[in-house]
Amino acid sequence: MSELTHTPSIALTSRGDKATDTMRAPTQQELMRELGVKPKPGWTSRLPPSVAAFVTNGKGMAGVVILLALVLTAVFAPLLSSYDPGRRAGKPHVQPSYEHVLGTTRMGKDVFTQLVHGARVSLAVGFGAGIFAAMIGLAIGISSGYFGGKVDDILTFFVNVVLVLPGLPLIIVIATMVEQASPMVIGLVLALTGWGWAARTIRTQTLALRTREFVLSAELMGEKKWRIILVEIFPNMLSFVMGGLVLGTIAAILAEAALEFIGLGDPNAVTWGTMLFWAQRNMALQSGAWWEVFPPCLAIMLTGAALVLVNFAVDEITNPQLKASRNIGRIRKFLSRRGRSADVF
Amino acid sequence: MIYLLRRFAFYVAAFFVALTFNFFIPRLMPGDPSARIIASFQGRLNEAQIDAIRQSYGLTGSLWEQYLTYMGSVFRLDFGISTVQFPEPTASLLFYGATWTLVLVGLAVFFAFIIGSMMGIHAAWNRGGFFDSFFTPINVMMNAFTPAIVALLLFYAFSLQLQWFPLGRAHSTEIMPGFTFLFIGNVLYHATLPVLSIFLVSFGGWHLGMRNVMINLLNEDFVILARAKGLSDRRVRYRYVARNAILPQITALALSIGFLLGGALVTEQVFNYPGLGKFTFTAIGSRDYSFIQGQLLLLTASVLVANMLSDIANVILDPRLRT
Repeated sequence: MSELTHTPSIALTSRGDKATDTMRAPTQQELMRELGVKPKPGWTSRLPPSVAAFVTNGKGMAGVVILLALVLTAVFAPLLSSYDPGRRAGKPHVQPSYEHVLGTTRMGKDVFTQLVHGARVSLAVGFGAGIFAAMIGLAIGISSGYFGGKVDDILTFFVNVVLVLPGLPLIIVIATMVEQASPMVIGLVLALTGWGWAARTIRTQTLALRTREFVLSAELMGEKKWRIILVEIFPNMLSFVMGGLVLGTIAAILAEAALEFIGLGDPNAVTWGTMLFWAQRNMALQSGAWWEVFPPCLAIMLTGAALVLVNFAVDEITNPQLKASRNIGRIRKFLSRRGRSADVF
Repeated sequence: MIYLLRRFAFYVAAFFVALTFNFFIPRLMPGDPSARIIASFQGRLNEAQIDAIRQSYGLTGSLWEQYLTYMGSVFRLDFGISTVQFPEPTASLLFYGATWTLVLVGLAVFFAFIIGSMMGIHAAWNRGGFFDSFFTPINVMMNAFTPAIVALLLFYAFSLQLQWFPLGRAHSTEIMPGFTFLFIGNVLYHATLPVLSIFLVSFGGWHLGMRNVMINLLNEDFVILARAKGLSDRRVRYRYVARNAILPQITALALSIGFLLGGALVTEQVFNYPGLGKFTFTAIGSRDYSFIQGQLLLLTASVLVANMLSDIANVILDPRLRT
């Protein structure tokens, strides 16, 4: 950043270009504004660097805000509506109105109430499975990367098997065997089948870290292995764990919805997936009751989109070249406006 | 060659792990498949009949004998007899459904991979520009809309409201199947919406993957050298950067086949398409275990074959692996 702020304005603007010769040279402040460089360090600079990198990322913060709103809705669901999500609240297929904000289902249940109550289970299962999968991935990835040798061979074999086994069909088999899979069971199965990617990226990262000086010196000082893993290696993994967590959560929320949609979940649980299941079973779309189908669809899409935004931020933190690529657009525009070749990047 | 042989050995091992899973899952669960059938007769069966049912499910003898019988039947492509369409063997149902699923997934993957990768190349080359900062997030967000939802929305808009596309089936009943333009056109017409819904949820992943790998490669020395030599932009972009960036993409493509097949299961359900998903759905409803287990094996096998093909493609594209 400091390179940009100190760029002498003359060098970029007055190279015999006739158009710029007649104009006065822009002040440094104007240049900084054009390049999007903040004049003063904001309050974010006082945060720890990893947090600041996240907070200053527009996309990531947008995702976090949406997620927070969804979680708050889920937590305060009983306050938001006075109906019982599992009980009949009115006539079947009432259009959205003052009494039923999003209408009612074929069974006469209030769609809005089901939506906010369904958020509780859907989000809990999604985040629970995501966190659990990231934990398994972390444990297996770090140990196979750090210990190497036989341990690595065996663990990598299992990581690869988990990666090639098709997740959803496997879950279908397990879910049919346990009769009706409660959201808990679905979440557990999703976590147990979804840690492959996290383990693979974390293993690669551990391999890179294992030969770095700070780990070697810790080993020379005779630190215990578990301490090296926890204190030296683990903090450098946080963003990768976050990435695994976010991706795992997306996969879990989508897979849970898909499983319940095709009728493998517990049909009495109120989740976004079972809402879609009942809507499909009762031919809601065919009978014109779009309000029974669209709200859970939009809720799942919104959650997915928010998580993707967070993942963008995580990606940019783990891979600095991606972050730099954002500024390249501004610099290119800056150069081409002055008639200079922007071809150097 | 050694590289390919090692990979092949891994796939064989992975297939055995999948087989073993498939063998143990029903045996670990409370109540095996035969118990359900026996219970449905409410005690009207004698010992011999119960034994016969258990035997038809391969549930007699020691665990090791059962395992060997199971392995033997899998390699004879004998998945048992379907309980939904009774005397029909499960294998023929599986392969009938799989054909249609392959049509859907094949078309969708083909378009999604090519279009997504091209968009990724474009976004990476003009990184930070309008296309990159606008379409990259949007395309990737579409990736997080589950196939079920996109399928439902497309079905509502184009099949129910506008009625541009049919409400189900893989082809019209009045057209004779065969290699005629009429029939193929009809199949494509029926496949449009299902393919589109799988396409929409998958091309963003290729876009992002290609873009991120490309951006990392663009700062490598060999790219700077290529540009310094004065090679054309086109040549640098496709022959130098994209050719390297496509390698991890192909590996990811093979790994994603399982996910896509899973997505197709749901899509078919929405569009009433007679693929594997539709049959799986009826099989779930009537607890047809032989079919449900068969679909897992078939899908696992296809993912493994896809991975093998990707390894071969990697060897062809990357001379460094040809030692």
